[in-house]
Amino acid sequence: METTLKTTPLNSWHRANGANMANFGGFDMPLWYETGVKLEHLAVVESAGIFDTSHMACVMVTGKDAFNLLQLCHTRDLDSLQNGRCVYGTILNEKGHVIDDAIVYRFDETNYMVCVNTGMGGTVAGHFQNHKSSLIAVHERPVEVTVTDLSEKVSKMDIQGKNSAKILKKVLENPEDLFEKMPYFSFKGDLSADSRARLKNGTPLLLSRSGYTGEFGFEIFISPDAIVQLWQDILEAGKEHNLVACGLGARDSLRAGSVLPLSHQDVGNWKFVNTPWNFALPYNADKSGFTKTFIGCEALLCSENLKNRENIKHEENTKYTFAFVGQDLRKIGAGSDSQVIDGNGKAIGTVLTCATDMAIGWHNNKIYSIASPDLPEGFKAKGISCGFVLVDRNLDIGTKLVLQEKNRKINVTIVDDVRPHRTAREKISNFI
Amino acid sequence: MKELNELNLPEDLKYSDDHEWARVDGDIVTIGIDDYAQDQLGEVVFVEVPEVGDTFSKGDQFGTVESVKAVSEIYTPVSGEVVEANEALADAPELINNSPYKDGWIVKIKADDLSELDNLKDKASYFQMLKG
Repeated sequence: METTLKTTPLNSWHRANGANMANFGGFDMPLWYETGVKLEHLAVVESAGIFDTSHMACVMVTGKDAFNLLQLCHTRDLDSLQNGRCVYGTILNEKGHVIDDAIVYRFDETNYMVCVNTGMGGTVAGHFQNHKSSLIAVHERPVEVTVTDLSEKVSKMDIQGKNSAKILKKVLENPEDLFEKMPYFSFKGDLSADSRARLKNGTPLLLSRSGYTGEFGFEIFISPDAIVQLWQDILEAGKEHNLVACGLGARDSLRAGSVLPLSHQDVGNWKFVNTPWNFALPYNADKSGFTKTFIGCEALLCSENLKNRENIKHEENTKYTFAFVGQDLRKIGAGSDSQVIDGNGKAIGTVLTCATDMAIGWHNNKIYSIASPDLPEGFKAKGISCGFVLVDRNLDIGTKLVLQEKNRKINVTIVDDVRPHRTAREKISNFI
Repeated sequence: MKELNELNLPEDLKYSDDHEWARVDGDIVTIGIDDYAQDQLGEVVFVEVPEVGDTFSKGDQFGTVESVKAVSEIYTPVSGEVVEANEALADAPELINNSPYKDGWIVKIKADDLSELDNLKDKASYFQMLKG
């Protein structure tokens, strides 16, 4: 069976370096290395870690109508997206269900890249192609836009953690130029021969100040021919900062502690409303509607309206997604076997994600991280379980719930954030 | 994951289909999880052990082993009373990974009837089961 799995260019490196491998979306990927998930997670919060993310896919959208097509197919209002900036949002179908979540990169008004999840390049490219006709209908003229699925033609690795820039500096040709004015969700370079961002050996790369851990860092897009050398060079450059290679296990626990969704698990085949990620919808100032028309918007507005009209029978019950934290590190299995029980003993939903953030702990009813500047004396980060629930009603922050899977139960609290003092949004000047 | 031939499965233990091991000393049975189970679970971060004096029937769940990846229930292969639980696991759950048969033992049970252990597997037949 393993022979049918796809591999990334780093597969041999993973296997030669003691990785515990598993099937993730059809790719043979590392869950953790000999370092172990806990230390990999802690390394990213304390210093830095690298992740092979070449299983993700990219779709190029180019041409005079590239903007119009993406404006129709992505949930963010791209009108305010500047060159060299990128933005997170989702791609919906007409029902308002999530096909995938995606970051849109704007090179210029006719050139965009869309980074999507494992195995989704073909699906998303197909969806964009299909909606060219919608665009023709809207504009009543032929449209000029080309959609190209770059799945497995571009490789990607992430370096995350506060020492990421110091480490990258050693392998980049022009780090000072690249790191100057590089805010969260901006990028520099591309994969062309005249890329502004290059490695010391001249290899072009796209360097994006983003990631999936909640910590300061970068996503790096590069040619598949160059990624193994880059991975090894970065590991060598990071030795003095105890840089470690991290697997999908640490990636999952880091993103859960940062309240970031996993596509097809926390967002998926249900309406994308009432989530911790409402910022990904183009609400107008008073939240009475959207600033643009996009695929799925009617379905979302419909459920938004319905929630205020009790007498109308819901055509599809509106669901609510909330983040939670546990009392300690104990977790339960997520998925269809799980139940969310409210204070009256009523089952109100299911658990989407439950992972343990090992870099945090409770102290006097407050969560601290090992990176918190105000750590109380004697504090020990024992780990706290966290994740997302999908429930059939609106809940207040602070609501106590029980999560149950078979005969196992844990007590949790609805929260709006989990791991404190994350670094993702801090100024780059704090880290170089 | 370890290859099957890399597993450490001592000859002097008995193994359950749920991947617990049992060591018999008089009427005291020491129970833990084996190398296969700890390898599958990955890094163990929490172990829930029973209280001394708790009594269990064969097949009862008596605790949980929680790793960063999953939660696994542990079942007793023998009826009896808990005479000792491994308190060291509270501060060092990783003993389950590092020393599954020695420092990572979980519980000692005073067995009501040692013949209940007869249907556990010896190393050879347990290994055969893992191979499928």
